[in-house]
Amino acid sequence: MTSMQVLFEASVGYAIFDIEEFEEIGSEVDTVQAAVGDLAKFGKICKLKAFIPFRSAQDALENINAVSEGLVHPLLKDFLETNFPKVKNVKKATFTIGVHDQRIGQQIRDDLNLPCTFTGVVPELIRGIRQHFTKLLKSLDATSIGRAQLGLGHSYSRCKVKFNVHRSDNMII
Amino acid sequence: GRGGAAGGAKQVVVEPHRLPGVFVARKGKDDMLVTKSLVPGVAVYGEKQISVEVDGVKTEYRVWNPFRSKIAAAILGGVENTYIAPGSKVLYLGAASGTTVSHVADIVGPEGLVYAVEFSHRSGRDLINMAKKRTNVIPIVEDARHPHKYRMLIGMVDTIFSDVAQPDQTRIVAINAHQFLKNGGNFIISIKASCIDSTAEPTAVFHAEVQKMKGEKMKPEEQLTLEPYERDHAVVVGTYRPAPKK
Repeated sequence: MTSMQVLFEASVGYAIFDIEEFEEIGSEVDTVQAAVGDLAKFGKICKLKAFIPFRSAQDALENINAVSEGLVHPLLKDFLETNFPKVKNVKKATFTIGVHDQRIGQQIRDDLNLPCTFTGVVPELIRGIRQHFTKLLKSLDATSIGRAQLGLGHSYSRCKVKFNVHRSDNMII
Repeated sequence: GRGGAAGGAKQVVVEPHRLPGVFVARKGKDDMLVTKSLVPGVAVYGEKQISVEVDGVKTEYRVWNPFRSKIAAAILGGVENTYIAPGSKVLYLGAASGTTVSHVADIVGPEGLVYAVEFSHRSGRDLINMAKKRTNVIPIVEDARHPHKYRMLIGMVDTIFSDVAQPDQTRIVAINAHQFLKNGGNFIISIKASCIDSTAEPTAVFHAEVQKMKGEKMKPEEQLTLEPYERDHAVVVGTYRPAPKK
């Protein structure tokens, strides 16, 4: 394995980050953890490779519903296929994709035959991306991501309470 | 008649509390904890509103009842810091219908954000409705045990407040902290002893929870019981991954 890219799922879309000098930092969780708090340092380790925005509120809702169930939405599938070469044998791949957890990692492997990792430095890298996301993306400011979180939070939650926010529970007698 | 009222009703004076974003309304001998309403003219849960005019500028405050809110009880109990201040980003676990969340939203103000997680659909509806009027509250109807489900909705936060009243509450806070709480961020956990272990002494329960926190990079700094507002309740305040001492 020679390189790592990290997949980050946000309220505005999916992003892939290149991890620089992964071979050196890959085993040093403490170094990464120390860099996470400092944008100047973290920005050197972690660089935006690709970003795909959600096209509509409906699009975002479908994607969060998929992600929360550990499923690969067609949009994510396209995004990964565009940005990673086809792999014949995942065990011999020269790269790995850092993902949030085992569920989404296993699904990406099953659906796309791409190698995924979710342990070691990956959780620290994702913490860093979450903290500096708007700065790393450059084209995005903090208020627009807040607005996207707000809209998506409402639609996701409304969906959970089954669209009947104005009604009280039906009593079963 | 009531002679005392001869001079007319006493004027209400609102002063800032020691903690930023929190205020105290004084009317005669009565002191009440209040927050500056983000949405004047609207009560969230039937709480009293107080309007104060200073130099022609009207400001509305909402009374914050310590018998209905653990954070208010902790503040009146003299907690050193809640780490909830104007501009803070707060992850609130166990948001219920959003009564306390609305006060937290008042405190953090338009520059802050409150990610309010509640699993119960019945309470979730009220929470969503409250959040319609307060756009700094992001409602999340989901199980706080599964933060991966709502990871797309949340940025890094300054503070986690938790009032989930579950036996594994400390673990729930820890898994959320590992993902969403910045290094050196703070947590404030309300612990109801009987929810963790109804047979043990409350002090023993609090002690055991504090030990669990230490194993999760959560450094407890202050522990306070919520008497006389709640029985056998404590809040524990601390720092997550504190910076190493130089």
